[in-house]
Amino acid sequence: MFKHLLSLLPVVAVATAVSAQEPIKIGIIGPFTGGSSPMGVSMRDGARLAAKEINASGGVLGRKIELVERDDTATNERGAQLTQELIESQKVVAIAGFINTGVAKASVRYPLEKKVPCIINVATGIIVNEYFKDADGKDQDNYLFSISLNDTIQSDVIVSEAVDKKGYKKIAILADDTNYGQSGRGFVESELKKRNITAVYTGKFKIKDTDMTPQLQEARAAGAECLIVYGIGPENAQIANGRKKIGWNVPMYGSWTMSMSNYIDNAGPNGEGTFLAQAFIQDAAKSDKQKKFIADYQKEYKPEEGRIPSAMSAAQGYDSVYLYAAAIKQAGKAEPAAIRDALESLKGSIEGVSTTYNNPFSKTDHIALKRPAGQLGMIKDGRIAPASK
Amino acid sequence: MNFTFAELVQLIFSGVALGMIYALLAFGYNITFSTSRTLNFSQGDFLMLGAFISYTIILHITGKRLPPSWLVWALALVAAATLGGLLAIILQQVAIKPALKTGSDVSWILATISLGIIAKNVAERIWGTDDYPVRSPLGSDLWSLFGGKLNIDPRELMIIVAAALIMVGFEFFRRKSLLGKAVTAVAADKDAAALMGINVPVVIAFSFIVSCAIAAMGGVLVGPLTFVSASMGALLGVKAYAVSVIGGLQSGLGVIAGGLILGLSEQLTARFVSTGYKDTPGFIILILILLLKPDGLFGKAAVKKV
Repeated sequence: MFKHLLSLLPVVAVATAVSAQEPIKIGIIGPFTGGSSPMGVSMRDGARLAAKEINASGGVLGRKIELVERDDTATNERGAQLTQELIESQKVVAIAGFINTGVAKASVRYPLEKKVPCIINVATGIIVNEYFKDADGKDQDNYLFSISLNDTIQSDVIVSEAVDKKGYKKIAILADDTNYGQSGRGFVESELKKRNITAVYTGKFKIKDTDMTPQLQEARAAGAECLIVYGIGPENAQIANGRKKIGWNVPMYGSWTMSMSNYIDNAGPNGEGTFLAQAFIQDAAKSDKQKKFIADYQKEYKPEEGRIPSAMSAAQGYDSVYLYAAAIKQAGKAEPAAIRDALESLKGSIEGVSTTYNNPFSKTDHIALKRPAGQLGMIKDGRIAPASK
Repeated sequence: MNFTFAELVQLIFSGVALGMIYALLAFGYNITFSTSRTLNFSQGDFLMLGAFISYTIILHITGKRLPPSWLVWALALVAAATLGGLLAIILQQVAIKPALKTGSDVSWILATISLGIIAKNVAERIWGTDDYPVRSPLGSDLWSLFGGKLNIDPRELMIIVAAALIMVGFEFFRRKSLLGKAVTAVAADKDAAALMGINVPVVIAFSFIVSCAIAAMGGVLVGPLTFVSASMGALLGVKAYAVSVIGGLQSGLGVIAGGLILGLSEQLTARFVSTGYKDTPGFIILILILLLKPDGLFGKAAVKKV
């Protein structure tokens, strides 16, 4: 009898160890309210879906994943403050998120200082490989990773379509005055420069501007053959609407933010046929993983008309949590430095929604998505479709 | 600088539409200032609430994609005006009446601003912080004139016509009806009006109801053009205040001139100077007017009796 009990002991001990073990805390940060919320909410819901799946199948290292979510409201100061809070008060072992380039740039010094890995899963204007050196040009430990389609790639997708394929020489650029818009404008200009082209008109607008007629008229007066825009949903929609108003029907190209529901809805028929850079298109899902992801997302969050508010953000939010799970499993412990080392040497192939990750990061390269991941999409019947070749 | 005549016409047209919205809000400022020497600094937020009411009504009856019928739109307009008027009674009781009793200038300024902030927060709770499109009964197709050379946005035309009708209508009412004449009398001399048997508090309350209802109707008019959001009223409210100072706080229809000055200067500067400077000329004009003609272009001197 006693012997029997004794043999049971280790089992009981293991069982209590699993349930009593603290969950692994991962910080999720993004704008869940305001004009950027289609991206932020989709990213968060994608991350939730991943955590739910992982926990349902036993968690990682026998521990559950707990997401600590924070709404940065797309403001730089708030983002920085909440990032610090996630690291210092919540003691998260890793962070995933950042939608707005400005917020990301203002916040990343905390993960860098405190050496907490941070996967930037949506913001595209921050080039994480620049952080292998600090502001003084000295080497530093880079804890930032990116799985977004960054703006160097996006501007290449757009410019190679407009210039190399369609042969436009006179190009107008319209960008908002945020970090995102202005850094995007810079990338577009340098892509154009590679092709010996200078934009015939470069215009600026503010968040919440409602009338773009003057900028568009100036662009037309400059003789532009096509328009490249760098802004977010609502203002891009005002540009599409204004273009219609002045009866100027040149092709309009934009970054992936034109996939936001508040661009497609607010531009309505005027947004039809506009082109955008994309990494993942909901309606062009091919793999079983992608199809299952979309079905699960629709079932769980019931988006209007089945359309994920920002499918790319959702996919990348989902993937970032799975990458952390894989890294923690490989490291054998949920500690920030170990997670970073594991991310830099991820073994095996991890099938995500936006792409399949084979050695996504290395010690010198923290950017997962490369040029081939970028594709051209277009707005068709109020949804995003791959642009016909 | 190359531009076509049609472009210029279009810019002027957009500028006039913008100016008429400013003028409509400024007209609201003027009505309450004339009767009570106080303003409702949350006019912009009343506009926002009106826009959201029309958004909700149109969304529920007509749906998201189709333009509403004129009947639905008229219903939205009446509902917005009614809600604006009802809230005005609260505003007047809570923010204005106590201030008029104590004669404190600071308290009504702060109280109306606070109510505006509360209105914005409530709207954020109900509708969220996103921008929403509203369809206009005129649709969003442009009217093409002269064989496509000139495109007119019917929604802008509607703003111009409707705003003018509302303002001229109220002026007519003020001059011809008994209640309107009472408003004029209170504006001219409160004490004398009271001695003549006019119920001054009622006239003041009435002026707030009209002012807020007009602002809410303004929201129904601009919604289709600008998108509806909880923060849409803030900047409009400030610019309208500038317009009522340019036109003159006691000027009646002088605000139309003020609105046109600001609206046109914004559009023309954005096009011919730089979009970054579009607000500058209007506010330079404002400062000049404050220096040279403090009562506004068409204002009568507001005598403050001690």
